[in-house]
Amino acid sequence: MEKYGLYLGCNIPFKAPDIEQSFRKVFPALGIEVTDLPGAGCCPAWGTAPSFDLTTWCAVSGRNITIAEDLDVPIMTGCNSCFGVLSEAKHFIEADASRKKAVNEKLGLINRQFKGTSDIYHISHVLYEKVGLDKIKESLKYDLSGLKVAVQPGCHILWPSDVYHVKEKNSFFPTQLKELVEALGASAPHYSRLEACCGMGGMRSTDVEKSLELFKTKLLSIKEEIDPDCIVTTCSSCFLQFDMSQKTLKERGEIDFEIPVFYYTQLLALAMGFDPANVAALCVTPRDAIIAEIQSEARKVREQEPLMTLAPSIDR
Amino acid sequence: MPAIVLDSDKIQDSVKRIMEYGGTGVLKCVQCGACSAVCPGVKAGFPVLCRLLIKKLLEGQFEELVEETSTWGCQACNRCTEVCPQGVRPQEVVFAYRRYQASELAFSSSATTSQMNLYGTGHAVFTEAGPLREKVGLPAKAPTSAYDEKAQKEIQTLLDNSPMGELGLF
Repeated sequence: MEKYGLYLGCNIPFKAPDIEQSFRKVFPALGIEVTDLPGAGCCPAWGTAPSFDLTTWCAVSGRNITIAEDLDVPIMTGCNSCFGVLSEAKHFIEADASRKKAVNEKLGLINRQFKGTSDIYHISHVLYEKVGLDKIKESLKYDLSGLKVAVQPGCHILWPSDVYHVKEKNSFFPTQLKELVEALGASAPHYSRLEACCGMGGMRSTDVEKSLELFKTKLLSIKEEIDPDCIVTTCSSCFLQFDMSQKTLKERGEIDFEIPVFYYTQLLALAMGFDPANVAALCVTPRDAIIAEIQSEARKVREQEPLMTLAPSIDR
Repeated sequence: MPAIVLDSDKIQDSVKRIMEYGGTGVLKCVQCGACSAVCPGVKAGFPVLCRLLIKKLLEGQFEELVEETSTWGCQACNRCTEVCPQGVRPQEVVFAYRRYQASELAFSSSATTSQMNLYGTGHAVFTEAGPLREKVGLPAKAPTSAYDEKAQKEIQTLLDNSPMGELGLF
């Protein structure tokens, strides 16, 4: 039984805890043990330490990584930014002996030491490579055939591919999320701006109008080219941008539609039969109708609740 | 009259400083522009990123650019790193320049909040989410530094003993 340390980051536990709950429901049911990383903090976000000092970035990331090292588990995170920041920090520490020495001098101040024994994975990597599509298919209570999904992998899960353990064949034509969605029975057609940036992140804090313009270009591409039933992402920042900003554009009269948005494990959890009040409860863009459609009697392929190979990580 | 005067001392100083801040690949750049062609920041209207930023730095315009806001439009997506045929890692040059700007406190006041949050709670983004978390069946307090004084002290120690600590932000 494989065990992973769940690195939460900031947005998921504080802005979208239903995504966190979806991790805690689906992974044990798929045979992956999830353990907390107590006291883990911010990765740190690109606009903080990485923008001030490389060694400080590596030390703050290194501190988070040492929490997993102490528990002897690899890290998995559902936030693309955290995945990118932690992976790159680990790369910078390991690629340069003098950097590693400097980082460990800093970490020595708090009685920690970076060893490099914990690898870093994105939750979608764990689902795709470790769990596998077949096991996901076997776990489903509802079949999503006929639903059309626009996939949004996000940026930091794809680039720079030289520091990541799990790679796409072509990072500019990513297929892993498409395959994960198709495993649920839904279709995930290509659209021309599939790998494009959603505009969240530093850009949104620096200039919200430029961010929204980039977002709108992508959203219109999705709507005009494939007109999906929902948008599915494995990036919590993309989730927030798609969920929040459609309303903004609609209120301004710039779009006349709204497309429901899910984090992938939310869609998976719904298809596995978990309660939407736990795993898909918080959104700005309405999604009640599609949730009812997903968990409709007509789609039921199995009566029983998902097989719990392990106890849920939090049962309170 | 030329728009800029090239000065070899200034160029050498610019290259040295950008490398010290982490942009170690800057001299490999051949100005092909592959990076800017895939950059969402450039696409969105932040022109002085990737190729153009590197060009200006290689012309010795180090201190002149300190107020340039384009660098803060970088999404840190690393598309540039992926496509660069020379191994420059352009994003590292952008971040290296940001580090110089940050050392001169040349960043937007909105970015200060994230630094304060990071120092106070260990999270750049933090809101009290107890009711939201309980609504979805999770404990009100996430198992992170936000509710862990020892963890916060550790993070504060790392930040206090860094160039960030010398800026008087905390």
